[in-house]
Amino acid sequence: MTTVRSLPVRRTVSRPAAQPPAPVASSRGWLAEWATAWNAFWFTPADPLPLAVIRIVTGLILTWSCVVWLLDADAFFGDRGWLRPDQVWRMNDQPWQWSGYFAASSPTMIRVVAGISLVAAILLTIGLATPLAALVSFLGLVSAANRAPLNVFGLDDTLGMLLVPLVIGPSGARLSVDRLFAGPGRGRGGEPSVRASVALRLLQVHLCVVYFFSGAGKLFGASWWEGTALWGAIANDRYRTLDLRGVAGHPLVVNALTLATLWWEATYAALVWPRLTRRLCLAMAVLVHLGIGVAMGMMEFGLAMIAANLAFVSATTFESLLRPFTFRTPDSPDTLSGTHSDHP
Amino acid sequence: MKSPESNASRWSPVARGCASVAILAYLAAVIVPPLAGPAPASELANRILQPLRPLVGAVYLGHGYRFFAPNPGPGHTIRWTMTMPDGSTRSGRIPDETLDRPRLLYHRRFMVSEKISALVPLADAPADIRERAKRDWQPLVKGVATNLLRREGGLSVTLETVEHYLPDPGEVLASGTFADAVTPLGSYSWAEPQR
Repeated sequence: MTTVRSLPVRRTVSRPAAQPPAPVASSRGWLAEWATAWNAFWFTPADPLPLAVIRIVTGLILTWSCVVWLLDADAFFGDRGWLRPDQVWRMNDQPWQWSGYFAASSPTMIRVVAGISLVAAILLTIGLATPLAALVSFLGLVSAANRAPLNVFGLDDTLGMLLVPLVIGPSGARLSVDRLFAGPGRGRGGEPSVRASVALRLLQVHLCVVYFFSGAGKLFGASWWEGTALWGAIANDRYRTLDLRGVAGHPLVVNALTLATLWWEATYAALVWPRLTRRLCLAMAVLVHLGIGVAMGMMEFGLAMIAANLAFVSATTFESLLRPFTFRTPDSPDTLSGTHSDHP
Repeated sequence: MKSPESNASRWSPVARGCASVAILAYLAAVIVPPLAGPAPASELANRILQPLRPLVGAVYLGHGYRFFAPNPGPGHTIRWTMTMPDGSTRSGRIPDETLDRPRLLYHRRFMVSEKISALVPLADAPADIRERAKRDWQPLVKGVATNLLRREGGLSVTLETVEHYLPDPGEVLASGTFADAVTPLGSYSWAEPQR
């Protein structure tokens, strides 16, 4: 016996026949959507608080870096140092990679330039004369990195990435001596601003570019696919500050750590934007960079990368974290009640 | 009373347009250098990079961002042996974890040996490859020798690069001893007597 089942029938609703949009009008609409999205992304005023937190962390790392440059200034920047000035072109794209140290012809002048950089980094950290301090700090970093290309590494790349937004944005508008000096009742610059938005967005996008290329570069490597790359870092006694060779007997642990690192980095640029995955991305960033800092002795680099990741932490989060430590005056801006963009 | 989001805090279309051009230029300077290098890289990316070189160089953006890629490799040091004015010899290595403190100073010196070693073929490489590479690394090694002679007050110094063997987990479990690859970098002395 054959049973006949009735198939579901798709209900149709009669609509007026829609006219296909004219191609020109359609592309204009598409372009307008792009323009609107671009404007909203870059130019919606943002609270400068995350930028201020990034300024303090960056300033501390940069101050320490300047101290270390000064510990062996003649070797890094002198005529008879690691790299003579007339040989710098072998590692840099001259003449574009300028440096203040090219004009410093004596040990005294070298120390003056390095000293100015150090003072600027300290001022940046405490937020005194912040716009000038940020600019001089950036010039000092670039001068050192371009004069001593044999001695720079990822830390210097990251500090450069952090300092450009600090120069562009109002990084001294919050948590700064500048802020304290501005009397009550006057415009103190702590309110949401477009400059803060541009600065934070630049840092966010730059960080995504860094992780994308770092992750894409790893996809070329067999050891990353095999899940053994982290062993290469663990077994390298030139980097090692924490002996983790005990994991030699646990290859699956090495596999898991390697693959987690690879796929976190390769997908960061996509997964850090949705709220659902952002916390996971940022938590992984903290674990990976602290791991590099503790196990490979590159704590400054690890902390600088974590500082860059702070660009994805909202002002609201910082506000709630800092609330127990801050003294609020009646005219302090309250980011919680604002309608501005709370990045990201 | 104006709110914090008053019009004063918003930018005019002209200001936004100018800022957009600057943002796009900056983003190009961020994205194109890692596309153009290190190898493998396309000819197209290198051509696009050419007009951006002044901006890339000026704001220190010429980076490849290939951290620990494609594979974490072995570490390198430069060993040196120096003849002193009294005829005695002194030796050391770059970097030296016991002397180079704080750790950031160690890393800044470590980069010297890592970057020079990346240019030096191993001792068993074909002679013509070693000879060609010498043109790239020898001027840098001269700088290292000059710095060491200045710092230690020596007359001459002999340098060699050491590639530290990277054992696999099985070798570590077997507690074996490993031979490092040593490549001579030559001997260097002052061209003129030093005062």
